[in-house]
Amino acid sequence: MKTRNAFQHEEIFVQFIREQKERFYLLAYSYTKNEQDALDVVQDSIQKAMLSLDRLENVEYMKSWFYKIVVRTSIDFLRKHKRLQVTDDDTLQYLTPAQEDVYENVDLEHALDELPLMYREVVILHYFEDLKLADVANILNIKLSTAKSRLYKALKLLKIQLQDAKGETAHG
Amino acid sequence: MDEKLKELEKQYTEVPIPKELDFVVENALKQGKKKRKNRAPQWLLGTAAAAMLFTAGLNVSPAMARTLSDIPVVGSIVKVLTWTEYKVAEDTYDADIKVPAIENLENKKLADTLNEKYRSEGKALYNDFVAEVDYVKGQGGGHVGIDSGYEIKTDNDQILSIGRYTVNTVGSSSTTMHYDTIDKQNEILITLPMLFKDDSYIKTISENIIEQMRKQAASDPDKKYWVIGGGLPDDEVIDGFTTIKADQQFYISDKGKLVISFDKYEVAQGYMGIVEFEIPTDVLKNELVSSKYIH
Repeated sequence: MKTRNAFQHEEIFVQFIREQKERFYLLAYSYTKNEQDALDVVQDSIQKAMLSLDRLENVEYMKSWFYKIVVRTSIDFLRKHKRLQVTDDDTLQYLTPAQEDVYENVDLEHALDELPLMYREVVILHYFEDLKLADVANILNIKLSTAKSRLYKALKLLKIQLQDAKGETAHG
Repeated sequence: MDEKLKELEKQYTEVPIPKELDFVVENALKQGKKKRKNRAPQWLLGTAAAAMLFTAGLNVSPAMARTLSDIPVVGSIVKVLTWTEYKVAEDTYDADIKVPAIENLENKKLADTLNEKYRSEGKALYNDFVAEVDYVKGQGGGHVGIDSGYEIKTDNDQILSIGRYTVNTVGSSSTTMHYDTIDKQNEILITLPMLFKDDSYIKTISENIIEQMRKQAASDPDKKYWVIGGGLPDDEVIDGFTTIKADQQFYISDKGKLVISFDKYEVAQGYMGIVEFEIPTDVLKNELVSSKYIH
């Protein structure tokens, strides 16, 4: 019976990957910032996932389970290539609103890229990949409260009004 | 959602999707399926891994070197043999690295230079592999494979062309090929620029290759090259092939023809693999220094 499950999982997995591959690529790219490296991450993630597919108990968890693999593979990739960006205080200061600026859209173009990784990944997973905050916390291996506070901080850094996030974070 | 967030999401999803994604994904799925099928139970994996790593001997000392394959060619003294071989065969980790060595060259310096290059590259490949396996194991397992070896492209009275290939199935299962071509009589290493009077060969060869690509694409729908008119829609040819490198990989065939080689992904999608083009000597004759090697 276990084997049958595994094969059913495999079919669902293959379909899921084919349908969503572009989303995985975007997520990988948000870490590696490089086309070839993002492709490598996608490939590695798929292979890793297939080898541990039997351990996935419930197909309903497949999405967050696979995102977790992609995120970990990406971070390991950055670590391995020592390109993990460490944000120093200066950058943080620069990103934090110093005073009540009135002009808006301050360089919105690079805002996401300049957001430190720990904040950026929360925003991407929660808002762009539509994952519940609890799932985001699980994927990133952090506590739910940490995920919440990072999300708040991210929105603050992006100068986004907090009420937009309230609905989600309250029950997340 | 907030307007700013929408704008940011738009930027996030606007990252161009590379054309190789489909291929990479399908390939990974295929390999993953294969691995799943012939997979040993979990508890066996660890035991097998421990046992096998010990057998993966690293024969660096010349005394341990195994002569695996001689290439006996009557009339030629210079020969290529397998000097060292690194082998690992675990469930999901396999390496097969054969390091060639050139023997009986009078020109000791040339032989030493080439052999030292082969040896250090082989060892580096093996070390990378071991590091990769350690890393993947730390991640709970995965597949790492490397297959490196050589083939003798040409071995006649005058020319010895060795092609060394490396297939790496960790990244995007890339394949690379490096050639060395030796003039056995004069015992010198032949380089591409050396064959020609000046740099104009780059243009001549590139144009001929583009022409060949288009011809092949026109007669065979399975052949697609990254060049306008090469079988792909124009808008998919973004960073297409325009010119060979001055030191593009090449070898000289047994019949004395120049063959230009491209690595996987260099001029075509991954499924095309390594791509070779034989350049007609007629096209080159005005630019060749002599017709000694290429005729």
